[in-house]
Amino acid sequence: MTVNDPREEKLDRLLRARGVEPAGADLARRIILQAQQTPQNRNFSPWQWLRELCLEFHLPKPAYVLASALVFGLVIGLSTPDGSAINGNDSAAAASVQSVFSTDEALL
Amino acid sequence: MATAWPDKEDHELLALIQNGSGQAFAQLVERHTERFYRLAFRYLQSRAAAEDVVQDGFLKLWENPALWQPERNSKFTTWFYRVVVNLCLDRRKRKTAVAFDEESEFADDRPAVDEMLMQAQEQKILEREIAALPERQRTALNLCFDEGLSNQEAAEIMGINLKALQSLIMRAKTTLKERMKAFL
Repeated sequence: MTVNDPREEKLDRLLRARGVEPAGADLARRIILQAQQTPQNRNFSPWQWLRELCLEFHLPKPAYVLASALVFGLVIGLSTPDGSAINGNDSAAAASVQSVFSTDEALL
Repeated sequence: MATAWPDKEDHELLALIQNGSGQAFAQLVERHTERFYRLAFRYLQSRAAAEDVVQDGFLKLWENPALWQPERNSKFTTWFYRVVVNLCLDRRKRKTAVAFDEESEFADDRPAVDEMLMQAQEQKILEREIAALPERQRTALNLCFDEGLSNQEAAEIMGINLKALQSLIMRAKTTLKERMKAFL
């Protein structure tokens, strides 16, 4: 098949000249009117909601947020020394908090 | 419905449509109806059928805006061409007989002196032969000879690579040249 094949050229010409009957002038308008009468199906998806929330507040993608929170939690959890959360000073700490509150109330 | 945001990109309008904006939908429809209609007409050779297809496509998008997934589709027009092609193919499957006027219109035994009549006849035969091509070859031709659509875009719409598209076009043209020998 050569580039200058007259049959090829004529076929190309015919293909480019294929006629299209114009659409009705109001086709776009009809579609818009039809859409106005049609309700949107907006299925609620928690994932979609989360994504929209992140977009709204310019946060990173939800997957990154979740993964980061998980890693952060693990790091905090592992870095806390054993038994540091529960020890004998709890009652003393509670007592000092109580004393702060009672001082504030006295001021009032 | 007056349209707003003529400067907004398609993907921005689609995000608004997903939030229920009728104005964004109107803008998108007015921007693209003509080009999708042209493609549908080339498939269906009927104004009413082509209009129906374009309307169906846009209404599906309006009803289920989540069909458009920006992370999966790079460009709205590429995705929507695919939607229109699929709707056209569905319609053709349902109604395979294309309403051509067959040979009777060409059986006139007067010499074809009128150039316009001759061209109209050639075009009619060309449409008939294109309609008889295998589906993928027909799709490739319709997309590539559609105004403003590059081979690369056509290949993306069909989900094939450029070489495969070129091969489909070449085979389609070879078949057409063979079948339209008398007119070329």
